[in-house]
Amino acid sequence: MATQLIKGNTAVIIGALYAGCDCFFGYPITPASEILHEASAHFPKVGRKFVQAESEEAAINMVYGAAAAGHRSMTASSGPGISLKQEGISYLAGSELPAVIVDIMRAGPGLGNIGPEQGDYTQVVKGGGHGNFKNIVLAPNSVQEMCDMTIQAFDLSFKYLNPAFVLSDGVLGQMVEPLKFPEKSISPEPDESWAVCGNAETKHNLVSSIFLDFDQLEEFNFQLQEKYDVIQNSEFDYEEYKIKDASIILVSYGISSRICRSAVDVARQDGIEVGLFRPKTLFPFPGKELLELARSRKCTFISVEMSNGQMREDILASIMYSRPVELVNRMGGNIVTLDGVMKKVYEVADREN
Amino acid sequence: MKELLSPGHTACPACCDTMIAKFTLRALGEDCIIISPTGCLEVTTSAFPTSSWNVPWIHSLFENAGAVASGIEAALKAMNKKEDTKVVVLAGDGGTLDIGIRSISGAFERGHDIIYICIDNEAYMNTGVQRSGATPFNATTTTSPSGKVSFGNPLPKKNMPAIMNAHGAPYVATATLAYPKDFMKKVKKAGSIEGPTYIHAHAPCTTGWGFDTSKTVEIGKLAVQTALWPLYEIENGTITSVKKVKNKKPVEEYLRMQKRFKHLFTKEGGEEEIAKIQKIADENIDIFGLQ
Repeated sequence: MATQLIKGNTAVIIGALYAGCDCFFGYPITPASEILHEASAHFPKVGRKFVQAESEEAAINMVYGAAAAGHRSMTASSGPGISLKQEGISYLAGSELPAVIVDIMRAGPGLGNIGPEQGDYTQVVKGGGHGNFKNIVLAPNSVQEMCDMTIQAFDLSFKYLNPAFVLSDGVLGQMVEPLKFPEKSISPEPDESWAVCGNAETKHNLVSSIFLDFDQLEEFNFQLQEKYDVIQNSEFDYEEYKIKDASIILVSYGISSRICRSAVDVARQDGIEVGLFRPKTLFPFPGKELLELARSRKCTFISVEMSNGQMREDILASIMYSRPVELVNRMGGNIVTLDGVMKKVYEVADREN
Repeated sequence: MKELLSPGHTACPACCDTMIAKFTLRALGEDCIIISPTGCLEVTTSAFPTSSWNVPWIHSLFENAGAVASGIEAALKAMNKKEDTKVVVLAGDGGTLDIGIRSISGAFERGHDIIYICIDNEAYMNTGVQRSGATPFNATTTTSPSGKVSFGNPLPKKNMPAIMNAHGAPYVATATLAYPKDFMKKVKKAGSIEGPTYIHAHAPCTTGWGFDTSKTVEIGKLAVQTALWPLYEIENGTITSVKKVKNKKPVEEYLRMQKRFKHLFTKEGGEEEIAKIQKIADENIDIFGLQ
């Protein structure tokens, strides 16, 4: 297949088109707007729907409507816009509807700025909206994965009838890398077993998240948790780099993991046994694998992220606080640096020798 | 006279937003509180830790200017401190016509004593020229691109002054930065009226519309002279004044100067599309009695 130099945000739309996404609903926000631009330019050309909404809330609720009709719909935004979408995302999860949401994270809180950050981890991975729900969350670290994980997000969201996120950041959205185009494209028909398609066959299908009876709602909540357990046990994904003999294990996702990979190589030149564990799914979080690592050796973890340590809490919980988990982080639109990671690596190595 | 909006901000040369902000402050003086929702004006005048504002100023989220203004006005009244202080929103068209329309509607329905000025540069300039509800028919933007099958934005501009008038606002006016005396007169008048007042200001954007930075005012004047931007005042539901258009110019003169309409002159079928825009101008003449 063709390989082209492509911007991360553009790669999302290429992935969406190959995944059979037929409805894009969006609202401008930097640094995610190119996803909207590309959708406006390409969706109508191939007979798919593009609608620019009047707000983020409108966009996510258009997704809700299209998803209820069985369509493969998506939206994209960044921090403040995702905050606004949370009510709609809870409704999608509560109605068990498939949809893909892309978050090109920027720095917060509040207006913050348009620089990259990973401060939306908690609001996206832990649900964010009201109620006992979870999103499926994929974390790309390259332009290639921006495309591939958009496709994967559609697959998973339809497999589990659950909203799926591609959680990316301002660097990945804006940077340009070679993209190998997908091998095949699909365009499945709406699933008439649950969708409301405006025909006689689907007349009796019901899309709703209202349960006035307390016991019924509790039962539904337990069913949701069972679904999340299945997802947790079967859909987690991660990448290891030089982890076999590592006594210092960097844990990092997204753009930060790219810097960590360099740090592993630099540290090993200095004879320090460092490895990288990169979660590719944030829910399900590959916690069992981290726990096995923690139990297999005396090691120190370093969570490297562009937030106040939001993922670090998941690492600590996963390994049951059995090992130290240090934090290297930047915020405010700054990117983790190789020097910053190495400083902490040397500090930990000195302490342990 | 001390300028209440200091130079040194990061707006583009010939920026429409800062011109309108400056004229607003010249008209109202120091005793006002400015609310700016997200947009070029807010970003270019308030980069932390600097500020161009020599009056109290607060940023609100994109969708909330009407609510934040309501809160400030209510708090001033609760503390018996309202007196002559003007609570003024300076918002863009996206923040007013699209995402912010819910909170401006609430503020006007409740009747807060605020002045709401919409700086209408007809697209989302701060995020890269995406279409808004104020984007005129056939303008190309990054989300309504002209191309083989499209002449750009296929929808007419939302009539926001009519919507605000329908809220029963005591004063609704249109204005433009190209006639600053008229603009400042209207701002002063809005300030003298108790209750929610609304001014919708035409604001040519050099970056988003694609014209030379020396042409901002010229383009603003042409919008009025072609009758594409009628200037009028509505008081308590009745049109009380209009600026007559003498020697009406064809809309081509206005369109030709802007890159956002360039495709109308290069693409096949452009002439018919220009005729549709001429019809909008001609209808304005009839609706507002401009001649």
